[in-house]
Amino acid sequence: MDKQRIKELEEMIQVVLLAIPREISAREFYLQAAKKAVSDSSRLLFSDLAEQEKGHEAELRRILTELKTELKEARGH
Amino acid sequence: MKRENLKNYDGKDGRPAYFAYKGKVYDITGSKLWRNGTHVNRHHAGEDLTDFMSMAPHAEEVLEQCKIVDTIDDEVAEDIFIDRMDRLRDWYRRFHPHPVTLHYPMGLFYFAAFMQLLYLIFRVSAFESAAFYAFIGATLTTIPAAVSGLFSWWVNYQMTLTRIFRMKIIFTLVMLVFGISGCVLRFLYPGISAGTSPLSFSYSALVFLNVPALTIVAFNGGKITWPS
Repeated sequence: MDKQRIKELEEMIQVVLLAIPREISAREFYLQAAKKAVSDSSRLLFSDLAEQEKGHEAELRRILTELKTELKEARGH
Repeated sequence: MKRENLKNYDGKDGRPAYFAYKGKVYDITGSKLWRNGTHVNRHHAGEDLTDFMSMAPHAEEVLEQCKIVDTIDDEVAEDIFIDRMDRLRDWYRRFHPHPVTLHYPMGLFYFAAFMQLLYLIFRVSAFESAAFYAFIGATLTTIPAAVSGLFSWWVNYQMTLTRIFRMKIIFTLVMLVFGISGCVLRFLYPGISAGTSPLSFSYSALVFLNVPALTIVAFNGGKITWPS
Protein backbone atom coordinates (compact mmCIF):
# COMPACT_ATOMS: atom_id res chain seq x y z
CA MET A 1 0.00 0.00 0.00
CA ASP A 2 1.55 3.30 -1.06
CA LYS A 3 1.64 6.66 0.68
CA GLN A 4 -0.86 8.07 -1.80
CA ARG A 5 -3.47 5.52 -0.68
CA ILE A 6 -2.83 6.32 2.99
CA LYS A 7 -3.28 10.02 2.24
CA GLU A 8 -6.52 9.35 0.36
CA LEU A 9 -7.85 7.26 3.25
CA GLU A 10 -6.93 9.95 5.79
CA GLU A 11 -8.70 12.59 3.73
CA MET A 12 -11.75 10.38 3.33
CA ILE A 13 -11.85 9.70 7.08
CA GLN A 14 -11.77 13.43 7.67
CA VAL A 15 -14.67 14.01 5.27
CA VAL A 16 -16.79 11.28 6.86
CA LEU A 17 -15.85 12.37 10.37
CA LEU A 18 -16.95 15.95 9.76
CA ALA A 19 -20.19 14.80 8.14
CA ILE A 20 -21.41 12.77 11.14
CA PRO A 21 -22.13 15.66 13.55
CA ARG A 22 -23.97 17.41 10.71
CA GLU A 23 -26.31 14.45 10.35
CA ILE A 24 -26.86 14.40 14.11
CA SER A 25 -27.63 18.12 14.16
CA ALA A 26 -29.94 17.77 11.17
CA ARG A 27 -31.80 14.95 12.92
CA GLU A 28 -32.16 17.03 16.06
CA PHE A 29 -33.44 19.94 13.95
CA TYR A 30 -36.10 17.77 12.29
CA LEU A 31 -37.13 16.21 15.60
CA GLN A 32 -37.65 19.68 17.07
CA ALA A 33 -39.54 20.70 13.94
CA ALA A 34 -41.74 17.60 14.29
CA LYS A 35 -42.56 18.60 17.86
CA LYS A 36 -43.55 22.08 16.71
CA ALA A 37 -45.51 20.87 13.68
CA VAL A 38 -49.11 22.03 13.60
CA SER A 39 -50.42 19.40 11.20
CA ASP A 40 -50.15 15.63 11.03
CA SER A 41 -48.70 15.72 7.51
CA SER A 42 -45.86 18.09 8.45
CA ARG A 43 -45.21 16.15 11.66
CA LEU A 44 -44.94 12.95 9.64
CA LEU A 45 -42.67 14.64 7.11
CA PHE A 46 -40.27 15.93 9.77
CA SER A 47 -40.29 12.60 11.59
CA ASP A 48 -39.43 10.82 8.33
CA LEU A 49 -36.65 13.29 7.62
CA ALA A 50 -35.29 12.77 11.14
CA GLU A 51 -35.34 9.02 10.59
CA GLN A 52 -33.46 9.43 7.32
CA GLU A 53 -30.79 11.51 9.03
CA LYS A 54 -30.38 8.70 11.55
CA GLY A 55 -29.85 6.35 8.62
CA HIS A 56 -27.26 8.68 7.11
CA GLU A 57 -25.43 8.83 10.42
CA ALA A 58 -25.46 5.03 10.73
CA GLU A 59 -24.13 4.65 7.17
CA LEU A 60 -21.40 7.20 7.77
CA ARG A 61 -20.36 5.44 10.97
CA ARG A 62 -20.24 2.14 9.10
CA ILE A 63 -18.09 3.68 6.37
CA LEU A 64 -15.87 5.33 8.99
CA THR A 65 -15.24 1.99 10.66
CA GLU A 66 -14.34 0.42 7.30
CA LEU A 67 -12.01 3.30 6.42
CA LYS A 68 -10.27 3.15 9.80
CA THR A 69 -9.76 -0.58 9.40
CA GLU A 70 -8.34 -0.12 5.90
CA LEU A 71 -6.05 2.68 7.08
CA LYS A 72 -4.78 0.54 9.93
CA GLU A 73 -3.99 -2.26 7.47
CA ALA A 74 -2.37 0.20 5.06
CA ARG A 75 -0.08 1.42 7.80
CA GLY A 76 0.84 -2.16 8.50
CA HIS A 77 -0.51 -2.40 12.07
CA MET B 1 -29.68 -12.42 23.91
CA LYS B 2 -27.02 -9.92 24.84
CA ARG B 3 -25.98 -7.61 22.05
CA GLU B 4 -22.37 -8.74 22.31
CA ASN B 5 -23.47 -12.33 21.64
CA LEU B 6 -25.22 -11.30 18.44
CA LYS B 7 -21.80 -10.98 16.78
CA ASN B 8 -21.42 -14.76 16.97
CA TYR B 9 -24.27 -15.22 14.50
CA ASP B 10 -22.48 -13.73 11.50
CA GLY B 11 -23.52 -16.34 8.91
CA LYS B 12 -19.91 -17.20 8.11
CA ASP B 13 -18.31 -20.69 8.09
CA GLY B 14 -21.66 -22.37 8.53
CA ARG B 15 -22.71 -20.32 11.55
CA PRO B 16 -26.35 -19.09 11.72
CA ALA B 17 -27.05 -15.59 10.42
CA TYR B 18 -28.98 -13.28 12.74
CA PHE B 19 -29.45 -9.54 12.88
CA ALA B 20 -31.24 -7.27 15.31
CA TYR B 21 -33.92 -4.73 14.45
CA LYS B 22 -35.73 -2.63 17.05
CA GLY B 23 -34.83 -5.01 19.85
CA LYS B 24 -35.84 -8.21 18.03
CA VAL B 25 -33.43 -10.80 16.66
CA TYR B 26 -34.21 -12.10 13.16
CA ASP B 27 -32.92 -15.33 11.66
CA ILE B 28 -31.95 -15.03 7.98
CA THR B 29 -29.81 -18.17 7.82
CA GLY B 30 -29.94 -19.65 4.33
CA SER B 31 -31.49 -16.57 2.73
CA LYS B 32 -30.31 -15.90 -0.83
CA LEU B 33 -30.19 -12.20 0.03
CA TRP B 34 -27.75 -12.89 2.87
CA ARG B 35 -25.08 -15.07 1.27
CA ASN B 36 -22.18 -15.67 3.64
CA GLY B 37 -23.85 -13.34 6.14
CA THR B 38 -23.67 -10.27 3.90
CA HIS B 39 -26.58 -8.29 2.46
CA VAL B 40 -26.05 -6.15 -0.68
CA ASN B 41 -22.34 -6.12 0.11
CA ARG B 42 -23.03 -3.57 2.84
CA HIS B 43 -24.78 -5.03 5.87
CA HIS B 44 -23.48 -7.91 7.89
CA ALA B 45 -25.24 -10.54 9.97
CA GLY B 46 -24.44 -10.29 13.65
CA GLU B 47 -25.18 -6.54 13.74
CA ASP B 48 -28.00 -4.30 14.84
CA LEU B 49 -29.51 -2.80 11.69
CA THR B 50 -32.20 -0.64 13.29
CA ASP B 51 -30.70 2.68 12.19
CA PHE B 52 -30.14 1.53 8.61
CA MET B 53 -33.76 0.83 7.64
CA SER B 54 -34.47 4.41 6.53
CA MET B 55 -31.68 4.04 3.94
CA ALA B 56 -33.02 0.76 2.58
CA PRO B 57 -35.01 0.61 -0.68
CA HIS B 58 -37.59 -1.52 1.14
CA ALA B 59 -39.86 -0.94 4.14
CA GLU B 60 -39.59 -2.79 7.44
CA GLU B 61 -42.56 -4.92 6.36
CA VAL B 62 -40.09 -7.21 4.55
CA LEU B 63 -39.04 -8.43 7.99
CA GLU B 64 -42.44 -10.09 8.38
CA GLN B 65 -41.00 -12.86 6.18
CA CYS B 66 -38.16 -13.44 8.64
CA LYS B 67 -38.34 -15.57 11.72
CA ILE B 68 -37.90 -13.84 15.09
CA VAL B 69 -35.69 -16.01 17.28
CA ASP B 70 -34.89 -13.79 20.25
CA THR B 71 -34.86 -10.29 21.69
CA ILE B 72 -31.95 -8.08 22.64
CA ASP B 73 -31.20 -7.60 26.28
CA ASP B 74 -30.45 -3.87 26.38
CA GLU B 75 -29.00 -3.86 29.88
CA VAL B 76 -25.44 -4.38 28.73
CA ALA B 77 -22.44 -2.17 29.20
CA GLU B 78 -22.07 -1.24 25.52
CA ASP B 79 -25.61 0.14 25.32
CA ILE B 80 -25.14 2.11 28.50
CA PHE B 81 -21.92 3.58 27.05
CA ILE B 82 -23.65 4.52 23.78
CA ASP B 83 -26.50 6.14 25.71
CA ARG B 84 -24.03 8.11 27.79
CA MET B 85 -22.22 9.31 24.65
CA ASP B 86 -25.56 10.34 23.11
CA ARG B 87 -26.41 12.27 26.24
CA LEU B 88 -23.01 14.00 26.21
CA ARG B 89 -23.46 14.86 22.52
CA ASP B 90 -26.89 16.29 23.27
CA TRP B 91 -25.43 18.34 26.10
CA TYR B 92 -22.65 19.59 23.83
CA ARG B 93 -25.12 20.57 21.10
CA ARG B 94 -27.25 22.47 23.60
CA PHE B 95 -24.43 24.40 25.29
CA HIS B 96 -21.63 24.16 22.63
CA PRO B 97 -18.88 25.06 25.17
CA HIS B 98 -16.02 25.16 22.64
CA PRO B 99 -17.39 27.96 20.44
CA VAL B 100 -18.37 29.78 23.65
CA THR B 101 -14.92 29.61 25.27
CA LEU B 102 -12.55 29.86 22.31
CA HIS B 103 -13.31 33.51 21.55
CA TYR B 104 -11.71 34.76 24.78
CA PRO B 105 -8.13 33.66 24.04
CA MET B 106 -8.62 34.58 20.37
CA GLY B 107 -9.50 38.17 21.14
CA LEU B 108 -7.05 38.57 24.01
CA PHE B 109 -3.96 37.17 22.26
CA TYR B 110 -4.51 39.47 19.26
CA PHE B 111 -5.15 42.40 21.59
CA ALA B 112 -2.01 41.62 23.64
CA ALA B 113 0.14 41.58 20.49
CA PHE B 114 -1.39 44.83 19.28
CA MET B 115 -0.77 46.56 22.63
CA GLN B 116 2.83 45.27 22.73
CA LEU B 117 3.39 46.59 19.22
CA LEU B 118 2.05 50.01 20.25
CA TYR B 119 4.36 49.96 23.27
CA LEU B 120 7.39 49.15 21.13
CA ILE B 121 6.52 52.01 18.79
CA PHE B 122 5.44 54.71 21.26
CA ARG B 123 7.09 53.51 24.50
CA VAL B 124 3.99 54.33 26.56
CA SER B 125 4.02 52.04 29.60
CA ALA B 126 0.21 51.77 29.70
CA PHE B 127 0.35 49.87 26.40
CA GLU B 128 2.89 47.42 27.87
CA SER B 129 0.75 46.85 30.96
CA ALA B 130 -2.34 46.33 28.82
CA ALA B 131 -0.42 43.82 26.69
CA PHE B 132 0.73 41.93 29.76
CA TYR B 133 -2.70 41.70 31.39
CA ALA B 134 -4.31 40.70 28.11
CA PHE B 135 -1.58 38.07 27.66
CA ILE B 136 -2.32 36.62 31.13
CA GLY B 137 -6.05 36.58 30.37
CA ALA B 138 -5.44 34.96 27.00
CA THR B 139 -3.21 32.26 28.48
CA LEU B 140 -5.67 31.46 31.26
CA THR B 141 -8.68 31.35 28.95
CA THR B 142 -6.80 29.05 26.56
CA ILE B 143 -7.21 26.30 29.18
CA PRO B 144 -11.04 26.08 29.14
CA ALA B 145 -10.99 26.53 25.35
CA ALA B 146 -8.57 23.61 25.01
CA VAL B 147 -10.48 21.42 27.47
CA SER B 148 -13.81 22.09 25.74
CA GLY B 149 -12.10 21.41 22.40
CA LEU B 150 -10.87 18.05 23.65
CA PHE B 151 -14.35 17.31 24.94
CA SER B 152 -15.84 18.12 21.53
CA TRP B 153 -13.20 15.97 19.84
CA TRP B 154 -14.13 13.09 22.12
CA VAL B 155 -17.92 13.19 21.90
CA ASN B 156 -18.31 14.37 18.30
CA TYR B 157 -15.30 12.83 16.55
CA GLN B 158 -14.39 9.79 18.70
CA MET B 159 -10.91 11.28 19.18
CA THR B 160 -9.99 10.36 15.62
CA LEU B 161 -6.65 12.01 14.91
CA THR B 162 -6.92 13.57 11.46
CA ARG B 163 -4.69 16.37 10.12
CA ILE B 164 -7.12 19.09 11.27
CA PHE B 165 -7.23 17.86 14.86
CA ARG B 166 -3.50 17.17 14.92
CA MET B 167 -2.79 20.78 13.90
CA LYS B 168 -5.25 22.15 16.43
CA ILE B 169 -3.75 20.13 19.28
CA ILE B 170 -0.11 20.86 18.40
CA PHE B 171 -0.59 24.62 18.03
CA THR B 172 -2.80 24.86 21.12
CA LEU B 173 0.06 23.30 23.07
CA VAL B 174 2.45 25.78 21.43
CA MET B 175 0.16 28.63 22.51
CA LEU B 176 0.06 27.36 26.08
CA VAL B 177 3.83 26.94 26.26
CA PHE B 178 4.43 30.40 24.78
CA GLY B 179 1.74 31.91 27.01
CA ILE B 180 2.97 30.40 30.26
CA SER B 181 6.63 31.16 29.39
CA GLY B 182 5.78 34.77 28.55
CA CYS B 183 3.79 35.26 31.77
CA VAL B 184 6.60 33.76 33.88
CA LEU B 185 9.22 35.96 32.20
CA ARG B 186 7.18 39.12 32.70
CA PHE B 187 6.48 38.22 36.36
CA LEU B 188 10.17 37.60 37.03
CA TYR B 189 11.36 40.68 35.12
CA PRO B 190 8.67 43.40 35.27
CA GLY B 191 10.72 45.77 33.12
CA ILE B 192 11.53 43.18 30.49
CA SER B 193 9.80 44.96 27.62
CA ALA B 194 11.88 48.12 28.07
CA GLY B 195 15.24 46.40 27.63
CA THR B 196 17.16 45.45 24.51
CA SER B 197 18.58 42.18 25.80
CA PRO B 198 17.87 38.78 24.18
CA LEU B 199 15.47 38.11 27.06
CA SER B 200 13.48 41.24 26.22
CA PHE B 201 13.40 40.21 22.59
CA SER B 202 12.23 36.73 23.63
CA TYR B 203 9.34 38.11 25.68
CA SER B 204 8.04 40.24 22.81
CA ALA B 205 8.58 37.32 20.43
CA LEU B 206 6.40 35.09 22.64
CA VAL B 207 3.65 37.71 22.65
CA PHE B 208 3.79 38.09 18.86
CA LEU B 209 4.32 34.43 17.96
CA ASN B 210 1.08 33.41 19.62
CA VAL B 211 -0.74 35.33 16.88
CA PRO B 212 0.28 32.96 14.04
CA ALA B 213 -0.09 29.96 16.39
CA LEU B 214 -3.62 31.06 17.26
CA THR B 215 -4.39 31.76 13.61
CA ILE B 216 -3.41 28.21 12.65
CA VAL B 217 -5.69 26.82 15.38
CA ALA B 218 -8.55 29.08 14.30
CA PHE B 219 -8.01 28.29 10.61
CA ASN B 220 -8.26 24.55 11.28
CA GLY B 221 -11.31 25.12 13.48
CA GLY B 222 -12.88 26.93 10.54
CA LYS B 223 -12.23 23.87 8.37
CA ILE B 224 -14.41 21.86 10.75
CA THR B 225 -17.23 24.40 10.68
CA TRP B 226 -16.99 25.07 6.94
CA PRO B 227 -15.35 21.99 5.38
CA SER B 228 -14.23 22.32 1.78
